[in-house]
Amino acid sequence: MFDILKPTLMMHNNGNGGGGGTCYIYPDAPATPGRVTPDVTFNRTAHMNGSMTMDDGASITMWGFNDGGGGGMGGGAFPSPAIRVTEGQVVHTVLTAGSMMQGTHTIHHHGIEPSTENDGVGHYSFDVNGTYTYQWKASHAGTYFYHCHTNTVLHAEMGMYGGLIIDPPEGPGTLFSGGPTYDQEVIWACDEIDSSWHNKSWTAGTCGGNEGFNSLNPDYFIITGVDGAQSALTAPGIAPTVNVGDSLLIRYICAGYLPQRINFGGLNANIHMSDGRALPEPVQVTTIKASSAERYDCIIVPEQSGVYEVSVEFLDWVSGAVVGTARTRITVV
Amino acid sequence: MKRRDFIKFGTAGLTSAAAGSAGLLSWIPRAHAATISKTYYITDGYTAMPDGANVYFKGFSNSSSTLNVPAASVVVQEGDTVQITIVNTLNSSHSFVIDGLVDSGTIAAGQTKTVTFTAGNPGTHMFYDKLNAPYNRLVGLHGGFAVMPAGSSNELYTGSATFVQQYVWVTNDIDPVWHDNVRRGRTPSSTFNPYYFTINGRTMRVPGHPEYGDPNIDSGYNPETRLEGSIGDRALVRILNAGMCMHSVHFHANHVEWLAENGQPRPQVWKKDTILLPNNMGGLDVIYPYEIPPDSWPQVTTGSFPMHFHDEMTQTAGGGLYQFGLATTIKFK
Repeated sequence: MFDILKPTLMMHNNGNGGGGGTCYIYPDAPATPGRVTPDVTFNRTAHMNGSMTMDDGASITMWGFNDGGGGGMGGGAFPSPAIRVTEGQVVHTVLTAGSMMQGTHTIHHHGIEPSTENDGVGHYSFDVNGTYTYQWKASHAGTYFYHCHTNTVLHAEMGMYGGLIIDPPEGPGTLFSGGPTYDQEVIWACDEIDSSWHNKSWTAGTCGGNEGFNSLNPDYFIITGVDGAQSALTAPGIAPTVNVGDSLLIRYICAGYLPQRINFGGLNANIHMSDGRALPEPVQVTTIKASSAERYDCIIVPEQSGVYEVSVEFLDWVSGAVVGTARTRITVV
Repeated sequence: MKRRDFIKFGTAGLTSAAAGSAGLLSWIPRAHAATISKTYYITDGYTAMPDGANVYFKGFSNSSSTLNVPAASVVVQEGDTVQITIVNTLNSSHSFVIDGLVDSGTIAAGQTKTVTFTAGNPGTHMFYDKLNAPYNRLVGLHGGFAVMPAGSSNELYTGSATFVQQYVWVTNDIDPVWHDNVRRGRTPSSTFNPYYFTINGRTMRVPGHPEYGDPNIDSGYNPETRLEGSIGDRALVRILNAGMCMHSVHFHANHVEWLAENGQPRPQVWKKDTILLPNNMGGLDVIYPYEIPPDSWPQVTTGSFPMHFHDEMTQTAGGGLYQFGLATTIKFK
């Protein structure tokens, strides 16, 4: 009768009295069903000791995944290192997590559609307490991202995500087999941060009690881990310089919770894919309105030199009013 | 004693449309138009939220002694004559409206009114109380109304992609302060602050919780809400947003075919794992294809996965209780 594979609740005293000592967390680390030798392996260790310095000088606590064994007290990557594979590969994502100090975590490869055990949703399978190997096959080229799906409302807000790109067999430079090529690419993972959420226990919100998680009131707006107030305007890897006539691929990931509207600064963009699937026909746009966790792969071929300021507006989910803006720029030479 | 004091329901009172309609809406096309009659009783009462709070609702109910939120959905065929009788058992005025199809006008306290109209506009519609907008709609006076194309058993509109089963999901965002204002006959003056997030009037439960698996309470097990199928059991999901918030609908295990937005067929069918759901009676029509999860390795044909909103505030209740929000289960049998 259980949808969950192994419904083992974590019982612990969270110290604040809510929930009678029951937290809806499902710690486990089973063997991977049908385990095979993979084509490629990524090691990820959960951490809860990162930080991000904002343009106003504030330091915000961030959590995430480090590459390899660099977790524990070191590391602190935000965003988490990207996973990049080739269509057709069998992938192992090896997650090490779990202790009362460091918390249990999962990796959900968003848009990747594996078996229940390998989907990384804590309450449908388990929250990793130890080491678990997620096994999946990269069946469709495109742009994805991976994130923690334990107490997701908090853990994703804390920054536990990274890019996930599947290249076609042709390799980087081609978006998908039979699709367009590109000369350059950027990954814009656009996110908003409510700093009032960033000082909580990893179980906050799973043990009962009101944590204010029904209402996100962001005070920072970022692009791929860089403050969009000023720094993202010039950050290497985010603010590209491209030649007239070259093609720039923008892998746009709506990594926050609020709706967003990206404006390409007057440049025309062709959307070729969304959510890892090619569109029947490309669609030309100057703006895109997107919602949490959507991805759009857009190619811009600028025709005139100049500096084009790209804005990402974050919208109130009721009124649609702009509550904050992150900016970067495309310099065409 | 006022009616609202004795029509008090626990969550078990939300048995809702389970009486009279099966979980998934079955449909057999007819060669000729028919007359379809349905009576709704406008009632009110309280429903228990996951944190134990009782919140006031009004509904288009199946009898004068139940409270059904949302109303039992109706499926008719293009060209049918539809007779809807509304029995207003309350001490306030209400109406029954389907934009573009019917408007009852004011139905005064204690009055009964029958509206008759011809079902046009194949697709998905919301019926709702247009008076005291948007408050009467928000506190529960809404439901789904589907018009099948004439003579068709498996299309959203003539020529659309086909399906073999269909569901209606009506979502809502609940601010208990606003609901209490409506109960008192007042106009809410506070900023809308959603505190609970429902799908077909229910929220999720997780393993270990005493209400887990109760089809009357747990949206993951409610048969009208939970998707169930085997490979090939393509499911049309008609999603209607009665609430005030824009949302992000995320399906696990399969991409969906995105057929329509706000009742209008889309010029291209995109395959998406995540889609923006417009607010204030916005809607999406998608087909969940029940294909083998494409990235599973070894391939699987069974499993349990979530559909959840990715604006993760919706995955909470009462500001905490992650996993007790707006989600359901997608079961591969």
